Amino acid sequence: MTTENTQSLENILSTAQTLRWEVGIDFHEKVTESIYTDAARIADRATTRPEEKPRFDFDRKLDQILTSRVWGFPLMLALLMIVFWLTISGANVPSSMLATLLLDTIHPLLKGFAATIGMPWWLDGFLFDGVYMATAWVISVMLPPMAIFFPLFTLLEDFGYLPRVAFNLDNMFRKSGAHGKQALSMTMGFGCNAAGVVATRIIDSPRERLIAIITNNFALCNGRWPTQILIASLFIGALVPVQLAGLVSSMAVVGIALLGIFLTFASSKFLSKTWLKGEVSTFSLELPPYRPPRIWQTIYTSLIDRTFIILWRAIIFAIPAGAVLWLSANITIAGTSLAGYLINFLNPFGLLLGLNGVILVAFIVAIPANEIVVPTIMMLTVLVTGANGGEGAGVMFELESGMETMALFEAGGWTLLTAVNLMLFSLIHNPCSTTIYTIYKETGSKKWTWVAALAPVLMGFAVTFVVAQVWRLVEMIL
Amino acid sequence: MVNPLFALLIAAAVTVLGFYVFSPERGLFWKWQHTRELSERVLREDALKHIYHAKNASVESLAGALSISTNQVADVIEGLQSLELLEIEVSNFKLTSDGRDYALRIIRAHRLYERYLAEETGYDEVNWHEKAHQLEHELSSEDVEALAQKLGNPTHDPHGDPIPTADGKMVYSEKRTRLANLELDERARIIHLEDEPEAVYAQLVAEGLHIGQEIRLLEATPQRIRFETGAGEHLLAPILAANISVIPFAEEPEKELEVGLPLSDLEIGEEREVLSLSPRIRGAERRRLMDLGILPGTMIEAEMESAGGDPVAYRVRGAVIALRKDQAAMISVSAEA
Amino acid sequence: MTTNTKDSCETCPIHDAAALKKLGVDMSDFDYVVALAGNPNTGKSTVFNALTGLRQHTGNWPGKTVSRAEGGFEYGDHKYKLVDLPGTYSLLATSLDEEVARDFILFGQPDVTIVVVDATRLERNLNLVLQVLEITNRVVVALNLMDEAKRHGIQVDERRLARDLGVPVVPMVARQGEGVPELLQAVGEVANRKTVGKPYRVKYDSPELKKAVTEVTKQIENAYPELPNPQWVALRLLDGDERIAEALRKGELGDLTHGDIEKRSAQLQVIGNQ
Repeated sequence: MTTENTQSLENILSTAQTLRWEVGIDFHEKVTESIYTDAARIADRATTRPEEKPRFDFDRKLDQILTSRVWGFPLMLALLMIVFWLTISGANVPSSMLATLLLDTIHPLLKGFAATIGMPWWLDGFLFDGVYMATAWVISVMLPPMAIFFPLFTLLEDFGYLPRVAFNLDNMFRKSGAHGKQALSMTMGFGCNAAGVVATRIIDSPRERLIAIITNNFALCNGRWPTQILIASLFIGALVPVQLAGLVSSMAVVGIALLGIFLTFASSKFLSKTWLKGEVSTFSLELPPYRPPRIWQTIYTSLIDRTFIILWRAIIFAIPAGAVLWLSANITIAGTSLAGYLINFLNPFGLLLGLNGVILVAFIVAIPANEIVVPTIMMLTVLVTGANGGEGAGVMFELESGMETMALFEAGGWTLLTAVNLMLFSLIHNPCSTTIYTIYKETGSKKWTWVAALAPVLMGFAVTFVVAQVWRLVEMIL
Repeated sequence: MVNPLFALLIAAAVTVLGFYVFSPERGLFWKWQHTRELSERVLREDALKHIYHAKNASVESLAGALSISTNQVADVIEGLQSLELLEIEVSNFKLTSDGRDYALRIIRAHRLYERYLAEETGYDEVNWHEKAHQLEHELSSEDVEALAQKLGNPTHDPHGDPIPTADGKMVYSEKRTRLANLELDERARIIHLEDEPEAVYAQLVAEGLHIGQEIRLLEATPQRIRFETGAGEHLLAPILAANISVIPFAEEPEKELEVGLPLSDLEIGEEREVLSLSPRIRGAERRRLMDLGILPGTMIEAEMESAGGDPVAYRVRGAVIALRKDQAAMISVSAEA
Repeated sequence: MTTNTKDSCETCPIHDAAALKKLGVDMSDFDYVVALAGNPNTGKSTVFNALTGLRQHTGNWPGKTVSRAEGGFEYGDHKYKLVDLPGTYSLLATSLDEEVARDFILFGQPDVTIVVVDATRLERNLNLVLQVLEITNRVVVALNLMDEAKRHGIQVDERRLARDLGVPVVPMVARQGEGVPELLQAVGEVANRKTVGKPYRVKYDSPELKKAVTEVTKQIENAYPELPNPQWVALRLLDGDERIAEALRKGELGDLTHGDIEKRSAQLQVIGNQ
C-alpha cells in the first residue's frame, strides 16, 4: 500500500473518531432503526395483506391450548412421558437381541476362532474378553434407546413444540438464574448427557449456556438408568412385600431422577450467583410457527447427527476401558492383580462413603461409559471375593437371575446402605469421558471443563459421606 | 470403622473453616488480598483523581475520599510533590501537566472498564463502580488500549461521562448544557446525571430519569423547575435540577413527546407502539432486542402468556417473541392504542 | 407468478432438471463460491439440501449451525461450492454467529450470496437482506415459504420487490422443490455477471447520523474508488469496528473476486478456522 493511501486512511479514521463524539451513545440504535424503517417501507410496498384477520388461526388456537395455564403442563408431562415410555419399552427388545447377538453368539465364535488358530491366551483375552466385550456391551445397551429417543425428540423439535416447552418452563428456570431452553437440553440429557451438552447450542446467552452445560450431568442419562433399575429392584424392592416390590423400586428410581432435577436447579442457582455472576446474560425466545415435520428425513438426520456420532465417541472410549479393565485384572504381582491392589487401597475410603473399593474402582473404569458400571462391579466382586460364577478375570458378564446377583453382592459385603449410596453416587459423579470431551469442545475452555468434571464428583463424595455417617449414627442409636 | 459421629464432626469443622477462610468478600483470604491492594501507588492515584475532579480539594476532603487519616494524606501529598505531579499554590492543590495526564489515564481506565462491565458482563450496575475502582490501578496502559479496541473505542461510559482519549483529551460536547438553561418548551435529551452526592442522585433515579431520555422544559423559576419526560411530569428544586445535563435536539423532532407505560402492563391482545428501551437494557441484550426489531416506532402486540405466567410472547413485525416480565417492564410503549 | 412461468415455458433451459447435478460433499475444483444466508426458521437448510442433495439438519433454533456446513452442486457446466452460514437476524456482529456470517460475506467474497427470506415475515427478513446488500451487490433473494404466505392470504409482489431491492428475487416453496430451477438460473446469471445488481442503499436519515455517514463515506470513496461498499465501511468505522479498520489497512477489503480462486479459498479457510 502506498504511503499516500496510508495517509488518507489515517485521515479517514481520525475523521470517523471525531464524528463519533457527535453521533453519541446510541449509534447502534439509530443504525438499526434506519435499516428497519427502510425494510418496513419496502416490505409494505411489495405485500398485500388480507383486509381482516382470518377468523381461524391454527397456530394461535394450538398455542392457546399448549401454553394455557390449565393444559400447558399436563400436556407437556404427558408428551414427555410418552416419549420416555416409547424409549424404554421400545428399546428392551432390540437391546436384548443385540446382547444375544454380540455377547452370546459372536463372542463364543471369536473365542473359538482364537482357539483354532492357537492364539496365545493373553492376546485372545485382551482382544476378545477385554476390548471386544466392553465395546459390545456399550453398543447393545446404548444404541437402541438412543435410536428411538433422538428421532422422537427431533420430531417434536421440528414440529415447533419444543420452543413452547421452553416458553412454559422458563419461569422455573429463571428463578434459578437459567434459561427456559435449558429444559430441552436437560430433557435431552435424560437420553445422553453428551447430546444434552451439544443441545445447549440453542441457548444464545453465554451465562445460561454455561450453566446448562455444567449442570447437564444431573440429568440421569440412559447409561445410568439400568444401574438404578437393577439396584433398586434388588435392594429397595426387597424391603416390601412382593406385590409392592415393582411399584416401590420404580418409585425409588423416579425419586433419584427427581433428585437429579432438583440438583440441576440448585446448582444452576449456585453457579449463577457465584462463579458465573459476571458472565453476560440475555433472554429472547422466538416461538416459530408450527410446521409439519418431514418424518423420514428427520429420522435419517437425527440418526446420523446425534445417535451415530455419540455412539462412535462412546465406542472410541470403551475400547481403552475394556483393555485397561482386562489388563488390570490379569496382570498380577505377588499373586494379587493390579485391580486387587487398587481395590484394597481405595476400600477404606469407599467404606467411609458407605460404598466399597470395588464400586469406586468400577466407577473409575467406567469413566468412558456408565453402561459398564454394573458388569464391572460384578466382575471385580468375583475377582476379590473368589465367589463362584463369572466368566473369568477381566471378563464382563450378566447373571441370569436376580437371586444370583443378590447372592454375589452379599458375598461382597453389601448392605442396604451400599445400595442406596451406589444409586446416589451413580447420579452424582463425574460425567462420562464422552461428555467431558464434548463439554471441552463446546466451551473451548479447560477451566469450565474441569469444573464440570470435578464439581459433581466432589458433591457425590459429600452426599454419600453424609448419608453413610448419619445412617450409621442412627443405626448405633437404635 | 471410624465412629460416624466423630467423622461427621471433623467434616463439619473442615467445612466451617473453609468457609471462614474462602467465603467471598468476607473470608480471611479476600480480606488479606484487599489489604495488599491498598498500596502507596493506589493511594496516590486515587488522590490525583480526587484533586482532578474536585473544585477545591483539601487535606480533609482527601482524607474523606480516600478514607485514610490526615497524617497519611500528608504522606501521599509529599509523594505526589516529589514525583512532580502536584504543586501547592497558596494552600490550593494544583496538578502539574504530568499530574493531569496521569489522572486522565486513570479516569480513562476506570470509565472504559465500567463500559466493559456494562456491555460485556452480567454484573449489576451497583457492582460497576467498585470493580472498576479496583481494576483502574491494575490495568497497564497496553491492557487499557486493548480493552478500548475490543469495545470499539467507546466515547462515553455507561453514566454518560466522556472517556478521555489515549492522548489525554476529554471532549465534552459543546452543546451540552444544564437543564435550566433550555428555552421554555424546548426539547432535549438527557446525556448525564451526576452521581454525586449520592442522595441527590438517588432522588433523580427515583424520579425515573435516565440517560438518553427525552425531556421538555415546562417552567424554570428560581424556586422550581418543571419538566416532562416519557415517564411523566417532574418538579425539582433548581439545586437538584443542576445535576441534570442535556443536549438540545438539532432539529425539532416530528413526534410529540409521549408519556408511555411499561410493555409488561399490556393485556393479552392489546397492541401498542414502542416508545423507548430503557438504558438498563444494555450490552448484548439491548442489541439482540433491537435486531429482533423491537425499536421505537415498532408496533407490538401481547400475544399470549406462558403456562408458568412469566414470559409473555409478543407479536413483533410478524414473529412471536417471548420476553420476561422484567425485560418488558423496561420497554416503554404508548399509553393509548 | 411462479405457476405462470411454469405453464408458458416448459422447454426453457431453466426447466431442464438434469442441468442440476447434486454433488453432496464433493467440492473439488469448484468455479464459484455461493454463500447461503437467512434468518432462523426460514427454511435455509431446506434450500441447502435441495441444492446439494445433502441432509443437513439444523432445527428450529437460531444458533444451531455453529460451524458452517458446505456442499457442492453443478449447474450449467459450472461447479459451485455452497456454504451454509449460521441463521442470523442481523449482521451487526453482536454475536458469534453474526460475526461468522458477516466475515464470510465480507472477506470470503462469495460470487453469489443467496439470502433466504420468509415471505410471511418480509419486513423482519428484509432487515438482514438490506444489511447484506450494503456489503455486496451479488445477491439473489430466495423468497421462500410462498405456500405459507398464500395460506395466510398474504400476496407478495416479487417483481416489485426485485425492483426495489435491485437484485433478483425468486419465489420458492423449497420443501416441494418449487422455484429451485429459477433460483439456479438466477444464481448462475449473477455468478457469471450476466446480471449485475444495483442494490438498494439504506438511508440513514436521523440528523446526527446523516452528516457523519455522508462525510466519512465521501472520504472513503475518494481514497478507495474501487471499494464496492463505502457507506457500509463508513458505518463500521463510525461504530469503532477495529477489525474493519485493520482490514482497510491490510487491503483486505475491495473486490477480490477477480483474483485467483486459490488465493480466495485460502482466505475462506482462514475464516473457517476462527
